Amino acid sequence: MIVTAQKPLDEILDSISPYSNILIAGCDGCTQPPRGLREAKTLSQLLELGGRLRGKNFLFKATTVVKQCDSFLAASALKPQVDGAAAVLSLACGAGVQTVAELFPGLSVLPAQNTHFIGVEDREGGILEERCTACGDCILARMGGICPVTRCAKGLLNGACGGARNGKCEMDPAKDCAWELIFLRLEKQGNLDRLKEFRPARNYQLRAWRLTP
Amino acid sequence: MALKLNEQYCSRCSICRSLCPFEAIKKDSETGKVLLEIEKCQVCGICYSACPAKAIDIIYYDSDSLINYLERARQEYGSEALVIMCKGSAPDFTEVERLFGVSKFIPLSVPCVGRISDEVFLKAIAMGIREIYVLACDENYCRFHRGSPVTGRRVLAFNLLLEQLGYGREAITLKRHSLRVKADRDLCIGCGNCAFYCPYGAAKLDSPGRANFDLNSCRGCGLCVAMCPALALELENWEREHISNLISKLLSEMKSPRILVFRCQWAVFPPLDGEFSPNVRAIDLPCTARVDTLHILEALQKGADGVLIAACPEEDCKQEKASGRAQHLVAALREKLNQIGFQDRLHFCSVAPRYDERFDKELQQFSQRIKDIYSKGERK
Repeated sequence: MIVTAQKPLDEILDSISPYSNILIAGCDGCTQPPRGLREAKTLSQLLELGGRLRGKNFLFKATTVVKQCDSFLAASALKPQVDGAAAVLSLACGAGVQTVAELFPGLSVLPAQNTHFIGVEDREGGILEERCTACGDCILARMGGICPVTRCAKGLLNGACGGARNGKCEMDPAKDCAWELIFLRLEKQGNLDRLKEFRPARNYQLRAWRLTP
Repeated sequence: MALKLNEQYCSRCSICRSLCPFEAIKKDSETGKVLLEIEKCQVCGICYSACPAKAIDIIYYDSDSLINYLERARQEYGSEALVIMCKGSAPDFTEVERLFGVSKFIPLSVPCVGRISDEVFLKAIAMGIREIYVLACDENYCRFHRGSPVTGRRVLAFNLLLEQLGYGREAITLKRHSLRVKADRDLCIGCGNCAFYCPYGAAKLDSPGRANFDLNSCRGCGLCVAMCPALALELENWEREHISNLISKLLSEMKSPRILVFRCQWAVFPPLDGEFSPNVRAIDLPCTARVDTLHILEALQKGADGVLIAACPEEDCKQEKASGRAQHLVAALREKLNQIGFQDRLHFCSVAPRYDERFDKELQQFSQRIKDIYSKGERK
């Protein structure tokens, strides 16, 4: 899932301050935590209250889109709603915001979220973590299902670097050493000889920007 | 303290001990004395109504105040039918009408019908009340575990007695009820929040991503409703629109500075004739888990100056620590309110009915804070 975090409300209030009529568009798609209708409504209430203290009277309409990054779905959900709006405040990831901006070139489309990474949510701990860099050359089969490109701070393909202390990365002691995790996983599976294979440097040309499905 | 055991009246029969759902009553093996451990007590009142020696004093809804209420309410409602309901499953008046077929009645809702003693039933009949209807929670829905079965047995025994006295068969009608989640599956976006947060495993998410509810497992805490990002869920009797209307109504009858309290109905037991000051009004919820960030914001938008949430401490929560989740949600919202300049307007407190003065204290402190903020604003 695409992990996003809400921008500070001050920043959002600044970005919407030139407009009065604003459509807030949630996204029910993969963005996590979910940014659907509830978030759109909550945000409209918060911004309305914040606007009052700043002497602004915003007029919000809150709605949601099944998947904002799908131009067909975004168009069919939003076209009937944008009448009268001067700006669209989007709760989607960067891809969703750009899709909507392209659909309505005459409107200001503003992001309410900062988009961070492709990751997972540990619901119990309330933590979201990055898992995939979208490198275009997946090697998880050989790595015991743990991605060193994403999770090793140095992106090493032939680790470990030797800098880890107590299983934690020397770049960031809060972070697990990905290579130690890979070693332990492969050891558990009895596949440690896989580490003897030499892996050539990553081919950055495989990181595509356009594909045909 | 809300409950007291008077040693000088106690006959040490131990009926209270055998009925207490929370093992809060112990017998000292050496002295034979019956002892109350108030920290475990949830003030359900089952021991109070069962004690043959009347050795237990209770602050909330003791027999005298219930009887006083009945006398007053009989005039007020002009009816000779009494409906005693457990708060946990008490529906609105139209639903009561549908369940029992009475349109005019004296409503009495208490935390657990198991706390109503024989004395109250008898006095009610002596007063001229002709019909008594009892609405208890379904047995697996009872917040006090044994309250609902105790009510069942008591009504059964009482009906036998009344029959002998010539009041006919089943003079008291007993029905059971519960209030559960309602899902609009067309709105479901398949995020899985309900399945993750439900403490009872009542929600499931199957591919292609629509929530399914097993209503028999639902205990009506409302946590899934508060967590649903698509607003696809409602809790019976506490529907979003119903609470919204209540917020508008209460705020319109209040004086500034206005404080709206959302309280868990198991954390605070309001007195039967309880009146707040004109600055304060309260909305009772089935559990703080049903506190909705949308409603808190709505209250502030509609003119509340402060919002107070009264929850049970996590260890007392009748709903598998759902109050802890609620605390988390409220904290996140407070953070957001700080960002827009609404500091100190939202307060979350944990209170238990066993210490009756604690809620009043929290309310008083919060009122003072809001008054200060309000008078500063007025001066500007």
